[in-house]
Amino acid sequence: MSNHNWNSPEAAKRIAQRHASERRFKLLGLGAIALSLSFLALLLFIMLRNGLGGLDWAFLSGSDSTNASVAGIWGAAKGSLLTMLVTLLLSFPMGVLSAIYLEEFAPRSRWIEWVEVSINNLAAVPSIIFGLLGLAVFINTLHLPRSSPLVGGLTLALMTFPVIVISGRNAIKAVPPSIRDAALAVGASKVQAVFHHVLPLALPGILTGTIIGMARALGETAPLLMIGMRAFIVTPPGGITDPSSVLPMQIFLWSDEIDKAFVQNTSAAIIVLLVFLLLMNGIAIYLRNKFEVRW
Amino acid sequence: MTETKLTARNVDVWYGPKKAIDDVSIDIDNGIVTAFIGPSGCGKSTFLRSLNRMNDTIVGARVTGQILLDGEDIYASSMDPVALRARVGMVFQKPNPFPKSIYENIAYGPRIHGLASSKAEMDGIIERSLTKAGLWDEVKDRLAEPGTALSGGQQQRLCIARAIAVDPEVILMDEPCSALDPIATAKIEELIDELKDNYAIVIVTHSMQQAARVSQRTAFFHLGNLVEYGETDQIFTNPREEKTKDYITGRYG
Repeated sequence: MSNHNWNSPEAAKRIAQRHASERRFKLLGLGAIALSLSFLALLLFIMLRNGLGGLDWAFLSGSDSTNASVAGIWGAAKGSLLTMLVTLLLSFPMGVLSAIYLEEFAPRSRWIEWVEVSINNLAAVPSIIFGLLGLAVFINTLHLPRSSPLVGGLTLALMTFPVIVISGRNAIKAVPPSIRDAALAVGASKVQAVFHHVLPLALPGILTGTIIGMARALGETAPLLMIGMRAFIVTPPGGITDPSSVLPMQIFLWSDEIDKAFVQNTSAAIIVLLVFLLLMNGIAIYLRNKFEVRW
Repeated sequence: MTETKLTARNVDVWYGPKKAIDDVSIDIDNGIVTAFIGPSGCGKSTFLRSLNRMNDTIVGARVTGQILLDGEDIYASSMDPVALRARVGMVFQKPNPFPKSIYENIAYGPRIHGLASSKAEMDGIIERSLTKAGLWDEVKDRLAEPGTALSGGQQQRLCIARAIAVDPEVILMDEPCSALDPIATAKIEELIDELKDNYAIVIVTHSMQQAARVSQRTAFFHLGNLVEYGETDQIFTNPREEKTKDYITGRYG
């Protein structure tokens, strides 16, 4: 049997060392969290200090202007909403259908492997390239209206699509195979097993991935520069084909103004964008909890 | 009254280049319980899953030879695997109820096959299936509760009720008690014994005592071969093959 002496000084020292390294790790982890959160706190503090004064009804309901005290955010916010709507309506069904097909139906072949690699690569393409693509395809070839939420939404949908496919596949993969077996064994077809049983269980994961992708798209500026969404527009867009700006673009444009008065506007716009993002994350958490099935 | 329900002739099952079942021929009769025994990896579960084409879902799995259900080739192009699985039900090793209510667990099969035309008819199917599975008295007042909230043994009986609900002719059971305690196991074995008059039941089991208790015929598999097949009494008391004798006396496996 064991002849190790647990009461010896060496053994006590070893145990003390192990406890110390555990404490060190916890401190390190806490430190990492504190460091990154302190930057967020700093950002919030500066923005609130500079921008809160400018957040009034006139600012929230007005549109861009050369006069800083008249300029408002509603035009850009509405542009963002319309753009996101187009992005969601396109990328969500396409992404979910692709994820289902690749995960549940695709035969294991060289061709499918190639498709998978392409989608993963698509997720890593710099966003400015998508802007160039949108300019070349949607505006120069299909002659869709420049600067419009339609083209912006189409371009951002291309970017969001791979994010939804990848998160959707992971969510579908996480559904235990025994559920598929159970459905097939009572005589469900493959499509029935997937749509009646696998998809509802994967939905919370798919929705979370979708909203993360949408939040990323909401903050995108570079691809929209390429398709002309940086124009100076004084009336809020009436529909998805009207020229429009978006929130991050408005922030970029105002931060570029020489007039000191726009500093407050910039900060106020950042607050509006952050509120938008928080709202989306809130919806993501709500949907996840609502559809989560515990078993 | 025994009649042959399932007939396998020279069946090979392949997983890619690997042969998991080698030239198995067997007749499975109606109205009795047939047990498949053998050491882990001997192919008994693989063979079981080929009887209702559940192997179709495994990439690279391939079945050659003939498997007949009432004389009909189940791998023929005219046989729809969906219809086949309604006729040949399956119960799995780990209880796998849907994360839905007890009622919905059982209603799902009849609903997709259109077996009930009214709510009353569906209610009847639910009650009959749960009664046959010996679960009705325990759950009749809480049909809306999730099936996953039941105990392991109750979950497995729910899965049996779910299989019965689509009115199958054959029930395949893949080690149905391996995740259950002895009391729940005894209940399932009792249930199998009651069900056998109306169905052909095939059970894969690691427990030789279980095979001896519940089955009338036993097939011993080893390394993908069917070594011996006969009356359960004969297999356990007077095996013809040396390998069978070694296995049932615990010399290996």
